[in-house]
Amino acid sequence: MKILICMSLISLLLVSCFKEEPSNSECDIIDAWVEGEELKAYFYNDADMRIENIPSGDQKIVFTVRSVNGLPPMALHLNMTSGAISNPVNGSVQDFSKGPVIYTVTSEDGQWHRQYTVSFTKVVTPPKFNFEHYKLEEPKNKYYMWYEVADDGTQNEQIWATGNAGFIIAKPNASADAYPTTPDVNGYEGSCVQLTTRDTGKWGKTFGKPIAAGNLFFGEFDSQYAITNTLWTTKMGIPFTEEPLKVTGYYKYKAGPEFTDKNGNVIAGRIDEPSIYSVLYRNQNAAGEKVVLHGDDVLTSDLIVSIAQVASLPETDEWKPFEMVFVNKAPIDATILADRGYNLALVFSSSKTGDTFEGAVGSTLCVDKVEITLKK
Amino acid sequence: MLIVALLPTLSLSAADSSDSQDESWLKEWQLKVRVGYNIGGTAPLGIPSTIRSFEAFHLTPSFMAGGDVMIPFKKRWGVLAGLYIENKGMDCEVTTKGYRMNLKMEEDELDGLYTGHVRQKVRQWMFTVPVQLTFQLNRSLMFKAGPYLSLLFDKYFGGIAFDGYLRKDDPTGPKVVMGTEENQWATYDFPDDMRTFQFGLAVGADWQFYRRFGLSVNLCWGLTGVMKGDFKTVEQTLYPIYGQIGFSYRIR
Repeated sequence: MKILICMSLISLLLVSCFKEEPSNSECDIIDAWVEGEELKAYFYNDADMRIENIPSGDQKIVFTVRSVNGLPPMALHLNMTSGAISNPVNGSVQDFSKGPVIYTVTSEDGQWHRQYTVSFTKVVTPPKFNFEHYKLEEPKNKYYMWYEVADDGTQNEQIWATGNAGFIIAKPNASADAYPTTPDVNGYEGSCVQLTTRDTGKWGKTFGKPIAAGNLFFGEFDSQYAITNTLWTTKMGIPFTEEPLKVTGYYKYKAGPEFTDKNGNVIAGRIDEPSIYSVLYRNQNAAGEKVVLHGDDVLTSDLIVSIAQVASLPETDEWKPFEMVFVNKAPIDATILADRGYNLALVFSSSKTGDTFEGAVGSTLCVDKVEITLKK
Repeated sequence: MLIVALLPTLSLSAADSSDSQDESWLKEWQLKVRVGYNIGGTAPLGIPSTIRSFEAFHLTPSFMAGGDVMIPFKKRWGVLAGLYIENKGMDCEVTTKGYRMNLKMEEDELDGLYTGHVRQKVRQWMFTVPVQLTFQLNRSLMFKAGPYLSLLFDKYFGGIAFDGYLRKDDPTGPKVVMGTEENQWATYDFPDDMRTFQFGLAVGADWQFYRRFGLSVNLCWGLTGVMKGDFKTVEQTLYPIYGQIGFSYRIR
């Protein structure tokens, strides 16, 4: 009886004070799309008309079209955080042929804003990469990102991704040069990209992820799964319209001194290895839905049509060439290829088993002057 | 307030008309040993709107034991002092929406707004010295109120944030999803950020219901936050507010 009274006293104290639910303060664009039969002709395929599950850190929404010239004004539809409003208004017709349109999203509580740059471009992925173009990620300028510059001067940030956006969760105070993926001015020619396996500190240990391998890959990094499902952070591959035959480049590699398992325990005698591979896969399933391979299936999916892997990358202090030749697993359809129906993933990592948090802190892979040889 | 409402019932059952004739018992000092159980919470005063619901309240080993002495000084009034050893624990689960959390691990902070489940555990083993003014209503019923000072010798403040997500820094920051199993949720513990001394006010009543045996209720309201002033993991100051029920035995 008294226990009941006491308990009711306490719960009264606590429960009676619940206040009204606060309005949403988030202001994300979650999905963006255009629709209509008349617009289909401007896109390579229907899947390109929708961009879904936009990573929470992204500020750029890029639609790929066959040609920007002659693109009619289009109504852009947005799925935003509940209660959020956008300017320009959701569903309003905009002329994207003149260049990017900036959307400002305001949260339900009116206190917060996010700006998104929405553009429709003809993305061309070049076959040569020299890693000369890098900058600090906006707006916080905490870590580096890489982009390519087309002949007409337009920057393409949609090619390369790194795990740096995940590292910031574990080590928010790290300087940009202490991240896993950094530039190095002492490249084979000009700058190169340097991938270093890093200790993720106390937070990393708490989450059972004691190391972070340096990585650089074609695709997108979605940091929201950095804790729950790390393999899902790496959305591997970007649409690629030509058949790759081989990838060449230059590398340097030095394994870190102590190889550790996912609990951080040293495995005596095991030497860390880097990893360089590339995968071409069909980016739609049988139902016509967009498919992106992640760290967990990029080497095993049934959708893979061609794989290239560098067999051996011995340690070296001097720049050495590497080469990997694509081996076809399934026929490549020329029409599907031309209509952006295949994704190419090109992946570099300083620790081969870094995706399962096994590797040696300090392992360093430098890569430069990478070229994809295309079928003529 | 509930305690006050409870008291007339107790006093009715304890009514003893013979007291009014002979008041010599009022001059006796009382020595009691007692055991009890604390139930309550370490919580902000006024739940912020960012805490949305209570999902679960788990019992903790929040026992108390000790003794006290009451010395009468004027008619029905007396003063009580004692020494207790006790634990004011808490283990509860709440859901939050945009709750500010600053999780610090050495120099690395994970700061942001958390939406999801939080299980909070508190352990506070302490020595408590109460100094209370007492009022003897009749032979069996005594009210008491006054300050207490506690010295903590074993403390823990920690928990997990799970099945939710953190927006890093502010609502526009990147989302970090927390899962429902170990290694996928954020654990935090900050025992070193807890104060060693606590101060508060307690009000209660002792009811000697059978010979030397008694029951007691107490409400202990902490006036000092349990965490040191510079602690920022949770925005609000957390006060220990506990109800206590117990048995007493009057030695004399």
